[in-house]
Amino acid sequence: MAAMAAVRSALLSHLRVRVESPAAPAVALSFVHIIRRRFSNEVMGSFLDKSEVADRIITVVKNFQKVDPSKVTPNAHFQKDLGLDSLDTVEIVMALEEEFGFEIPDNEADKIDSINVAVDFIASHPQAK
Amino acid sequence: MALRAEVLSLFRSLLRTAAKFSDYNIREYAKRRVIDGFLDNRGLTDPSSIAAAFADGKSQLEVAKRQAVVYSLYAPRIKSVMEVESP
Repeated sequence: MAAMAAVRSALLSHLRVRVESPAAPAVALSFVHIIRRRFSNEVMGSFLDKSEVADRIITVVKNFQKVDPSKVTPNAHFQKDLGLDSLDTVEIVMALEEEFGFEIPDNEADKIDSINVAVDFIASHPQAK
Repeated sequence: MALRAEVLSLFRSLLRTAAKFSDYNIREYAKRRVIDGFLDNRGLTDPSSIAAAFADGKSQLEVAKRQAVVYSLYAPRIKSVMEVESP
C-alpha cells in the first residue's frame, strides 16, 4: 500500500513537471514576440514606394465603372479630366481605402480630387499597405 | 438646409456602414442602394425636399448601423461564392 502511494506520488510529480515544462518557454516566447511586434514595421507602419502607390491607384481608378480607362493618366483630375462628380470621387476614395487597408478621415478625403494628390497623401501615410 | 459637405459626409458614412454587413448579398445591396439613392436625388433643388431627403438619409444610416450589428450576430458561416478569390 505504501509502495503504491510512493509510486503514485512519483508519477504525479513526474506528470506535473512534464505539464509545466513546455508551457513556460511558450509564454516567454510569446512575450518576446509581443515586444518585437510592438517595434516591428508591421505595427509602427512604413512608407510605401511612390511609384508603386501610383501604379496601384491608377489600377483602382481604371477599374472604376464610370471611368474610361484610356483617359486615366498619372496627372488626371477626377472631375475635370475623368468626368466624375463629387459622389464618384467619394466612391473612388473609399475604393482607395479598401486597396491600401486604412481609413482616410473625412477632412483628408475631401482634399483628394486628383490622382497626384491621392499618390502624395497615400505615399506619406505610414499605415498604407 | 444641408450643406454640400454634410451631404458628402452622409454619403461616405452610409458607404462605410454598408461595407460592414457580413453577408455578401446584403453588403452589395446596401452599397447599390446608397449610390442609387443619392443619384436619384441629385437633381433636387427645392430646399424643403433636400432637407427631407437628407433627414431620410440620416435615419436610414441609423437603421443600417443597427442592422449591421444585428446581422453580424447571425453572420453566414460560409462565404458567398462571389467572395471567393479566383485562382
